[in-house]
Formats: sequence, structure tokens, C-alpha cells
Amino acid sequence: MIPLRPRLSQASNTRREAFWAWLFILPVTAGFFLFVLGPMLASLALSFTKWDLLSPAEWAGTRNWHSIFSVSVVHTPQARDEASGELLFQCGRHRNVPASELADWQQRNDERTGEPFDCRPGYPRDREVLPERFGVVSEIALFGQRWLLGARDHVLWIALFNTVYMLLAVPIGMALALAVAIVLNQQLRGRNLLRAVFYLPNVLPIAATSVIWLWIFNPEFGILNHLLGSVGLPAEGRWLSDQGTVKPSLMIMGIWSALGFQMLIYLAALQAVPSQLYEAAVIDGAGLWGRFRFVTWPSLSPTTFFLLVTGMIFGFQSFAQPYIMTRGGPGNASRTVVMEIWKNGFADLEMGYASAQAWLLGVVILLITVANFRLARRWVFYEHEQHV
Amino acid sequence: MSEALRRLAPVTLQADARRQAQVLRALSHVALFTLAFIILIPFFWMLSTSFKPARGIFVMPPQWIPNPFILDHYFTIWEKTQLARGLVNSTFIALSTTVGEIATSTLAGFAFARMRFPAKGPLFGLLLMTMMIPGIVTLIPTFILFGELDWIDTFNPVILPYLLGTPFALFLSRQFFSGLPRELEDAAKVDGASYFQIYRHVFMPQARPLVATLFVLGYLHRWNDFLAPLIYLRSPEIQTVSVMLARLVDFYVQDWSVLMAGAMIALLPILIIFVVLQRFIIESVAFSGLKG
Repeated sequence: MIPLRPRLSQASNTRREAFWAWLFILPVTAGFFLFVLGPMLASLALSFTKWDLLSPAEWAGTRNWHSIFSVSVVHTPQARDEASGELLFQCGRHRNVPASELADWQQRNDERTGEPFDCRPGYPRDREVLPERFGVVSEIALFGQRWLLGARDHVLWIALFNTVYMLLAVPIGMALALAVAIVLNQQLRGRNLLRAVFYLPNVLPIAATSVIWLWIFNPEFGILNHLLGSVGLPAEGRWLSDQGTVKPSLMIMGIWSALGFQMLIYLAALQAVPSQLYEAAVIDGAGLWGRFRFVTWPSLSPTTFFLLVTGMIFGFQSFAQPYIMTRGGPGNASRTVVMEIWKNGFADLEMGYASAQAWLLGVVILLITVANFRLARRWVFYEHEQHV
Repeated sequence: MSEALRRLAPVTLQADARRQAQVLRALSHVALFTLAFIILIPFFWMLSTSFKPARGIFVMPPQWIPNPFILDHYFTIWEKTQLARGLVNSTFIALSTTVGEIATSTLAGFAFARMRFPAKGPLFGLLLMTMMIPGIVTLIPTFILFGELDWIDTFNPVILPYLLGTPFALFLSRQFFSGLPRELEDAAKVDGASYFQIYRHVFMPQARPLVATLFVLGYLHRWNDFLAPLIYLRSPEIQTVSVMLARLVDFYVQDWSVLMAGAMIALLPILIIFVVLQRFIIESVAFSGLKG
């Protein structure tokens, strides 16, 4: 019944549509293959080579990967005197103080500090315990026992630890952002102004805000110690110049900078929570906490999930802030994985090794993201399940 | 008497509730404005330092209002560094990449949302996956590739990849175009319009909010970019303002007034854009976040 010509033209129409569609997606697809998929695979291949860009690339087999994963945990008991079997202690600089002389040492003053000797259990030197060319990643002391975590590329593992440590800023910032969003989500005068002020740190270039915070954290003349002192808090913080406080310091700035973004996303999500849900909860006798626990929190769970996942992916790749503010120091206390990759790749021209490190980071991020999605099934509640 | 009391009771209850709400609101105001003030302290501190004579910054307790108030550090930055050049470079990079990104991403987004073609689903999935892949994994091979092309120390590596679109812009475009009514292209098809004409003359005029959102987010993102410009842009003539500022930290060690003036110059263009487009930027961010 249907005439032939239209059917033919319909077939050619379909082909014509496909042709144009492919043409339209060509740039984006080309970009994907050229700048994402291609380099990704190239990076994997590179991770099995040794290449400094100056001489031809050499096949290195699994050597790069072997170096990365050369990790060992050594249980190090307290040192004992070889002859007498007595436990040894370390007092100040002096190693090998036998237990029998300990009381005597503790009476004396350290010639360097003038204070009484600080005596601790003595341990063999790290390099005597660890395999050759290994460095210390971390020292773990638990229940009077001591383990030494060592690795061939100990700086990489320290950097990974630092990066994960500083990721704690993501949930802390999110909790703060949620609280701010809830308080802000009412009819308030100056609401738009407040929203803009909170968001401001997030739009400004990270290089500029890092330089500002570098000055804020200055131990002698920075404003932070002064402000703390003026409200009666201890004002002797060394902030970025102390191994113990450098990570929390960077996290404080990180929270300051991300808070507005998280708050904004939470605020938008809060406004989408149907008010009937709250009314129903009130009728059921829910108080402030009950309404938060049974209405707000579940309704916001997709938002929480989104912020957590993106925040972690972003945080794992932290570079500009530690690069500008600390160069990874003091020691390696604020070195991040991307800084390590940058140093190996672009300062030391170890392209193969840096590629292996980059892949390690990529896999870690992927695993964490997958784990996040898995866990999400337990706590993320989608109102409309018919998502694409 | 009891009758009057009974009538009065709900009124007082209501008044109580209203007063409670008022107190709560007042407390919220105090808390929020205090927080806003704390968040702004770094900017006050930057401004104050940038107008102080070099010796003034080591005075304790610090003065918030500089006395004397001097502009010397801004002149120093302007004359002795190329930060002004950096502003031009950053603007050029941010503008060109954003415009290119919008053109290619909306075109592809349109195809994915409104056209039928084989392998559409898997292709889109593949492109979306890119969003999950951390950029760091591709850093070294792309560097080698651009090195082979002799593009190190040119604008190409920081501009060209964006001209081919970004997965984020693609995703947002597809979402947006999927939400437009069917009748739009039907009428145009009857009139014999080509697919490109439909995209250009029917869909793009509807996509103003999308384009504006992509523009603002892309521009801010590019202006903030640090790692790629640091690696690729070596000579000062083509460096971005962010990279230049980071370099200044090494040149002007401890010269905080000059550095704060530099930071001020580096963030001023974005600050102005933000103040002018504040409402719109905030809505764009919230919009893209909800879609994501």
C-alpha cells in the first residue's frame, strides 16, 4: 500500500541523519580519543619504560611498578645489648643506654638543652632494619610495640598518605556547609549578600588565595596568630612551618575555599525538598532533630553523595595549593601525589616512572569512586529512580 | 472571664511562636554575618597589607587601616613584573577556550539529545566516562605529544584540547536540549531546514541560559587552571597571571606588601566579574550542581 519512493527516502533520511549526527559529535569524539583515551593508554605503556625524553625510551619491564610496590613492614622490638641482653634506651642524643643505668641518666641534665634527659626506649637505626635503599614511610607505635613502614619510593607513599589525610577536609567542610545552608534557608534579610560572600573564596584564583593565606599563616607577623592571641587562644602556632600542623593548616584554607560551593549546592537542594514532607513530619510530632534526621538528610543524600565523590576526586589531585604554599614541606609533610608526579615527570624527566605513579593515583581514585558508588546504595535515597 | 481567657489562649501561643521564630531569625543573622565576616578577613588583610609601607607590615599589633596609606606596591607590580601581561594572557586563554568549548559541546550535545544514529548510547557513555578519569593520568603522554609537535611554550597545549569540547559541557548541553519540546524541530523539518540550521537557528536561540552557564563556569575554570599553564607556558610573555603570581612568591620572598598587591591584581578581574554577575553565577553553579 505504501508507495515505494517515500520508503526509500526514509531510509536515506535515516542515513543522512546519522551522517550529520556523527559530523556534529566528531570534534568531541576526536578530543576524547586524542586527549583522553589515547594518552591514557600511552601512559600505561609508558609506565613500563624508562624515558628521559633526551635519549630514546628503554623498555623497563615491570621495574617501575616493582619500585613503587617495594614496601615492607618491619616489627622492630626495643634494642637489647648484645652481651648482657639488657634493654637499651636512648637519652637525648645518646643511644645504647642500658636499662640498669637509666635511673642514673634521668637524674642528669642534657648538655645540649640544659634540661633533664628525655629518655625513650631505644631502637635499632632505621637503615639497619629496613631493606637496602628503603626509606621510612611511617613509624607505628601501638600497645608498646613498634613497627616501621618502609618503602623503596617512600616519598610517594608519604605523599599518598598526606593526600588521603587532607581529604578529611571534604566531609568536615561538607558538614559545615550543610549547617550554613540550613540556617541560610529561611526568609532572611541580606540572604543573597551572605550567599555571595560565602561563595566568593571559591571563584577567586587559587594562586591568589594561596598567596594570601601564606601571609595569614606567617608565624611571626601573620594575622591568624594575632587574632587567636587577641581572643585569648594560644598564638604560638607555626602553621605551615611545622610538620605537625602543616596539613591541618592547608585543610583550613581548603575548607574556607570550598565551603561556599558546597553550601550553594546544598542550598539549591534544600529548596527542592517538598514542604509537604516537613508538614507531614510535624504532624507526626517530629521536632527539629527529627525533621533533619527523617526529612532533610535523606532528601539531601544524593547531593551529599555528589559533593563527596567530586570533592574526593578533586582532592586527590590537589597540586596548586601545596605547590605555592609549602612546596611539599616541611620535610615531606605536605607533599601530595600530584606534586610527586610533577617532580618526577617535569623536574627529573623520569617520564616512565611518573606515568606509573600517575596510573597508581588514577586507579586509587577509581577504586575510591567505585567504593563510594557501592556504599551509596545503602544510604543514598533517590526520590525519582528513573534517571538516565 | 473564663470565656475570655479561652479566646485569648491561642493568641498568646501564636505570639509565643512568632517571638520564638523572631529570636531564631535574629540568632541566625548574628551567626551568619559573623561567619561572613570571618570569611572576608583574608581579603581585608590582603588589602590592608598591600597599602602599607614595607616596614609597616612587621608592626605588632598589626594595623588594619594603613597609615601612611601608599600605592607604591601597585606601581612596583605594574612596572617590575609582567603581571599586566599575565592578565591579558589569562583573559585570552579563558575567552578562546570557553567559546570553542561551547561551540563544539553544544553541537555534540544537540546531536546526542535530538538526533538518532547508530552507537549513540555507547558513545555517550564512553564520553561521560571521561568525567570520571582523573586528568592526571593523561598529563605525561599529552606533554610528550605536545613536545613532539614542538608546542611547548606556546598557547596551543592550554587552548586546543578545550576547543574540542569538554565532557562536562557536553553533558550539560545534552541535558538541556533533551528538555526542549518536540515541536521545535518538527516545524523546521517540514520547512526543509538542514540539521545544522535546526541547531543554529532553532535550538541555539533557546539555549541562552545554557550558553551563559557554560560561559561563566568555563571562564572561571580556565582562569583558575594552574598545572597545565605551569607546565606548558615557560616564557613570561605567555604565562597566565596565576603562574606569574606563584613565581613572584620566589622573587619577593617576605616582601608581603608587594605580594599582596600582586594577589589583589590577580584576583581583581574575577572579583569584578563576580560582583557584577553575582546572582547569575550563583544560579549557574547551583543549576549545574543539581544536574550533576
